[in-house]
Amino acid sequence: MKRGLALYAVAAYAFLHVPLLILAVFSFNSSRFTVWEGFSLTWYRALLRDGDLIEASVNSLIIALGATAIATILGTLAAYGLWKRSSPWVAGSLYLSLVTPEIVTGVSLLALFQWIFRFVHLRLGMHTVILAHVGFSLAYVVVVVLARLRSFDPTLEEAALDLGANEFGAFRRVTLPYLAPSVAAAAMLAFTVSIDDYVITSLVAGVDSQTLPMVIYAMARRGVNPVLNAVSTMIVTGLGILIMVSERLRRS
Amino acid sequence: MKLRNAFLAPTAALMLLTLVAPMAIIAVYSFLTRGAYGGVEQPWTIENFTRLWDPLYLTILWRSVWIAALSTALCLLLGFPLALFIARSGKRKNLYLSLVILPFWTSYLIRTYAWMSLLRDTGLINVTLQSLGLIKEPLPLLYNNGAVILGLVYAFLPFMVLPLYATLERLDNNLLEAAADLGARPWETLVRVTLPLCAPGIRAGAVLVFVPCLGTYLTSDLLGGSKTVLVGNLVQNQFTNSADWPFGAATSLALMAVATVLLFAVRRRGEELL
Amino acid sequence: MNRRTFLIGAVGAAACGSRPRLNVLNWSDYVAPDTISNFENEFGIQVRYGTFESVPEMLAKVMGGNSGWDVVFPSAEYIQPMRDMNLLAPLRHELLQNLEALDAPFRVPPWDPQLQWSIPYMHGTTGIVYQRTLPQPIQAWADLWNPTLAGKITMLDDPPEVFGACLKMLGYSLNSSDPEQLKKAQQEAIRQKKLVRAYLNAEVRDQLVAGDVTAAQAWAVTAGQAITAVPDKLSYVLPTEGFARYADNMAILQESRRMEAAHQFLNYLLRPQVAAAIVAATHTATANGAAQKLLPEATRRDTVLYPPQDTLARGEWFTPQSAASQKLRARLWTEVKSA
Repeated sequence: MKRGLALYAVAAYAFLHVPLLILAVFSFNSSRFTVWEGFSLTWYRALLRDGDLIEASVNSLIIALGATAIATILGTLAAYGLWKRSSPWVAGSLYLSLVTPEIVTGVSLLALFQWIFRFVHLRLGMHTVILAHVGFSLAYVVVVVLARLRSFDPTLEEAALDLGANEFGAFRRVTLPYLAPSVAAAAMLAFTVSIDDYVITSLVAGVDSQTLPMVIYAMARRGVNPVLNAVSTMIVTGLGILIMVSERLRRS
Repeated sequence: MKLRNAFLAPTAALMLLTLVAPMAIIAVYSFLTRGAYGGVEQPWTIENFTRLWDPLYLTILWRSVWIAALSTALCLLLGFPLALFIARSGKRKNLYLSLVILPFWTSYLIRTYAWMSLLRDTGLINVTLQSLGLIKEPLPLLYNNGAVILGLVYAFLPFMVLPLYATLERLDNNLLEAAADLGARPWETLVRVTLPLCAPGIRAGAVLVFVPCLGTYLTSDLLGGSKTVLVGNLVQNQFTNSADWPFGAATSLALMAVATVLLFAVRRRGEELL
Repeated sequence: MNRRTFLIGAVGAAACGSRPRLNVLNWSDYVAPDTISNFENEFGIQVRYGTFESVPEMLAKVMGGNSGWDVVFPSAEYIQPMRDMNLLAPLRHELLQNLEALDAPFRVPPWDPQLQWSIPYMHGTTGIVYQRTLPQPIQAWADLWNPTLAGKITMLDDPPEVFGACLKMLGYSLNSSDPEQLKKAQQEAIRQKKLVRAYLNAEVRDQLVAGDVTAAQAWAVTAGQAITAVPDKLSYVLPTEGFARYADNMAILQESRRMEAAHQFLNYLLRPQVAAAIVAATHTATANGAAQKLLPEATRRDTVLYPPQDTLARGEWFTPQSAASQKLRARLWTEVKSA
């Protein structure tokens, strides 16, 4: 079965990556159409000259990193809290945030912010986007971490308490290490959700907080644009290298 | 318990701000009347809810549920073996996990456009098949329900793989060995031991996939050629083109109610909400 | 990085770069690559330039009255509604010396005869783009109901446009609010749906160029871009039964605290050279008569962008719809899409 699984994995990874590989190949196409015309770096040059695109990418990164950090920490703690003793209100509202369509979340947050801004002298901006992102990523983090907590043996913590640790100590040194893989998985999920979000962000972003998906959507609406291919390839390559490097570091 | 309360407090506060308050506003909107070009105004009314009870909207809801359920099932089918592979891959686990996530750090829109250009009449797939002589006319791969489901599965696969992986990763190997000792073959162990043990992960994954699929609108617009209305399109339309916020609010509440009912039905008795 | 640190940093950064600012929200692809930077250099004003794809999208952002945007570009039929919502600031003509550059008909447009709230910017028509390889050239909306074109037709993903085509085909007005007429139009749309490949807006351009689509309901600007990409393969026709005309206008939001800078920007866009440069880059038709004189002969003769007057007479402007009519149209559209 190990063999079968490995073969399947290859096919699955191919399914996931081939569309992007094709995008990458055509990002070097001198023509903008699906017909190969020749190798060229024009689209990359256009990409680097596009100030809006670069600024939007930076914004996206800042927002995603910030929102992921906050959501992962708060979410992990919340999952632990819920596991210890459930709270119908917190669990219920987290659940609700999952079943709400993005457009509704976006519009309702916009309505809320506009109401608040009548009293507080603020505008829509990076802060509203990050707040919104934390709001919708929390539930993802909690779901992932809680799923793993369900298979954790509570007597291990009790043993730690018996041995003289306090509540927080027991959490930090017994439970948290056990949770580490799922916290990492949850953080990746939160990062993905944040950096990819278009609907909610476009509604609560202010004048100065254009994000990458917003710029991409605007470009893509006008048809196939090879600069998008270049964007995609650069992101994948950059992050891919990052992952390889961290793997190396981890193993050494 | 003090620790537990302290841990829950920040999340509770955040949920109050980003969910409860906005939802209260939406609930209020659903009982108001539409403004001429958007927004809401008095009088109060329940008309927005009574309007929903109409074959047109019920059909739309049913269609959305069906497509979401199918996409979720496919995600489970395709995602489980992959999660299993990653969980058992020893030292390379993080690498393989990252490789699953990596495509999803490019924008969803870019990936959808990748599929659009692949599936088009003059896209790579049709061009290749035609040049190999396997087909005469291009296959209509794009702008139908199949393309929409493909897009949904492609978009939400990691939301299934990650929770599955999280539960599979910590599966007690002793249990699997015990099953083998008792004479079970690998397949049997998989179906009768592994699968039931990762039920929490399956349920988590199903929730994370089914619900966004239910509320999607970009996919059916881009890959479905805007030819079909799913609930997500309906809601989005009310808040943009149709400028009928109260009806949009009522539809959203209905959508959330349906999702909640369905997910409740899948729960085991005594199990927690999440 | 926590939010507070970030906010403090952002405020600090904002305090540092304090050139006067202007925030402009426009349709995508509606200026030349150097239009904004030239303005910034000449006037010393830093411009934040955002784009949108549809007026409802823009309205959602500015409806609250404190969005932060200064200049927006609504379509003609939204000027009155935005006025009703108190979103627009009255224009001060003494700051707009270049107003005379406007083409005569656009100095007294039906939606704002005294140009109190808006200034026409770019305009166009909605017609049909088709492949020249067709045995019979397309001439009317009715030709898009031809079963031989099944799977190769696209219509705009825009209820007023689709219903507009159906209404015109039936001989009614684009802006009809008569339930009987609208229902008949809807029946036509449903009848056509099985022949429709997809409902696409500007994205149809690439499919026309690639040949995936044989005939498409399209805006003149999209048509122009497609035809330029593959000359001699495509044609644009304004249907005999009548068609829609659109005009996008510049306007200043009531909430803006930068009236002077905003007027300077509007005045700048009215300069013939600036408008001509924009047209050259974007293939749209400008409402600026003086700019038209600066355009190359070929562009001025381009019937896609500047149809002859007698053809234009068959066109009709969109007008705002009553709430009841909007509700009916929305419902009918949902039924079409769900069919």
